[in-house]
Amino acid sequence: MTPLARSRLRSTVIHMVLFIVLGFWMIPQVYMLSIGLRTPAQAFDAALFTWPVTFDNFVTVIRDNPLGGIFLNSLIVTVATVAIVVAVSSLFAFACAILRLKGSLFLYTTLLTTLMVPLASMVLPLAILLKNFGWVNTYIGLILPYAALGVPFAMVILKSFLEDAPRELFEAARVDGCNAWQTYWHVALPLVRPALVFVTIWQFIVTWNEFFLALIVLTKAEMKTLTIVPMQYSGLYMANPGALFAVLTLIALPLILLYVLVQRAFVRGLLAGAVKG
Amino acid sequence: MRAEAVRAGPAAAIERRPASRTSTLYLFAVPATLLFVVFIAYPILWVAGQSLYVRSGSGASSFAGFANYVTVLGDPTFWIVVRNMLLWGVITIPVQMLIGGVLAYFIERHTHALRGFFRTMFFLPVVTSVSVISLVWVQIYAPYYGIAQEYLKHVGFVMMTSPIGDPKMAIYALIIVNIWQWTGFSMLMYIAGIANLPSEVLDAARVDGARGWRLAVHVIVPMLAPATKSLLLLGVIGTLQTFPIVHLMTGGGPNRASEVFGTFIFKQSFVLGDTGSGAALSVIVLVVALALSLLQIVTLGARLTPAGKERP
Repeated sequence: MTPLARSRLRSTVIHMVLFIVLGFWMIPQVYMLSIGLRTPAQAFDAALFTWPVTFDNFVTVIRDNPLGGIFLNSLIVTVATVAIVVAVSSLFAFACAILRLKGSLFLYTTLLTTLMVPLASMVLPLAILLKNFGWVNTYIGLILPYAALGVPFAMVILKSFLEDAPRELFEAARVDGCNAWQTYWHVALPLVRPALVFVTIWQFIVTWNEFFLALIVLTKAEMKTLTIVPMQYSGLYMANPGALFAVLTLIALPLILLYVLVQRAFVRGLLAGAVKG
Repeated sequence: MRAEAVRAGPAAAIERRPASRTSTLYLFAVPATLLFVVFIAYPILWVAGQSLYVRSGSGASSFAGFANYVTVLGDPTFWIVVRNMLLWGVITIPVQMLIGGVLAYFIERHTHALRGFFRTMFFLPVVTSVSVISLVWVQIYAPYYGIAQEYLKHVGFVMMTSPIGDPKMAIYALIIVNIWQWTGFSMLMYIAGIANLPSEVLDAARVDGARGWRLAVHVIVPMLAPATKSLLLLGVIGTLQTFPIVHLMTGGGPNRASEVFGTFIFKQSFVLGDTGSGAALSVIVLVVALALSLLQIVTLGARLTPAGKERP
């Protein structure tokens, strides 16, 4: 066999194996969709695929449930959290990496410890704090704790990017008479764009899917976010798996679609060095 | 963390300005500090203080020293939790690294046109809502109508009940779900590591005759050590905050067999309303997390960022 033929064969085999592994990997998602597309008669069949398929379940669950409102709750909490995290962490990273404020390194190190704090140990004190603030069942009651937990990670990445940026640019901005705020806005932020994109997407995913704190803070039906409603539906549609899995598919879909749309920018940010220490 | 102060240069020049203007520069650091103080530091101090008090039946709390800790440590469930958390970390972290690393290697080094496709598809479980995932896996594991039992029967693996209803198997069944959900994350971290490998080193290794298996094991794996260390660190913290999968799939049962720190804290604090022992548990988890993280940072030089390569 010529080397070229051999490398082509190897590539074909590797692709085939990857496709087979992926096929197995996708079983839970395929299964979810498949049950959602079943008639009541087939719903309890122990098979990955059944035929024929029907969209009745999707029609039923969209008609019967306020999914739009729940989606909007998730969107409000997530977008606000992401905006706060990006703004606050980039300001802080700028203070550490470019302004080199006295004491900022100490603050940076202190904030870093947040990354080692498991949310499980914060849920009880945060629940009490939010109760004292009267913030149970409010958007702000989730947004600010999420932001506080998200800032340290974003700050590490943005600081590392800023430190790698050419220092002459900041010097030039100063010579041209930019004050610190102008330098931040016109020089620093555009320089770290891939990192900002990466941080935005990651924070979006994490916030959208956060479960523990949302479960504690949001008890009123009209405030609930998408991640905490599936439990209710599993009770509601206990005898009707078709409808349950249709609603689960609809709940999972927005973030999956969003990720597929932005994955290129996300991975680019990761490869560009969002991964540095 | 490096000593930043020693590196002077153009940036230091920005700092040299009249004192009145320097103070306004602290506004850059204020929002992050405020969020940290109010939502991280204060709650931690509160929970540490609260763990020293017990609440009597009438609702009044009184100082009790380490009584809550003694109660918690004497609870047999606590030791089930410790065992489950050990199993969780010891199984999940290496398995995710191994599968994620192998996937990353083949996707990054042997695919071209379909690279983005594979990267995205294997990452999808990470972005799928964990509550959706949990309910789907309950269905997969279910007896009679679930597909796991149906298909495993054909390879001679017969189960009588759902694995999550069996006290011996429940924790392993949950660990499988967790591995499935998070392997894509390990894969992506390794992909970033592989893509950033210096090509000179790989070329030099190839000239020396290292290819295929030997190149992967003797050259690439050691060079991915920073990513591995980060995954270890993130894996430990991730293990300690395990909650949704267990809460939604078994609720810590059957008979508390699959209880983890998250569900244990949840039950003590919010179901039983025993804030004293809930607080003591929170502090224990916090101390374990900090201790294990510091241990890794000191002994391995691990970083808290998702992956990493050494900076020049």
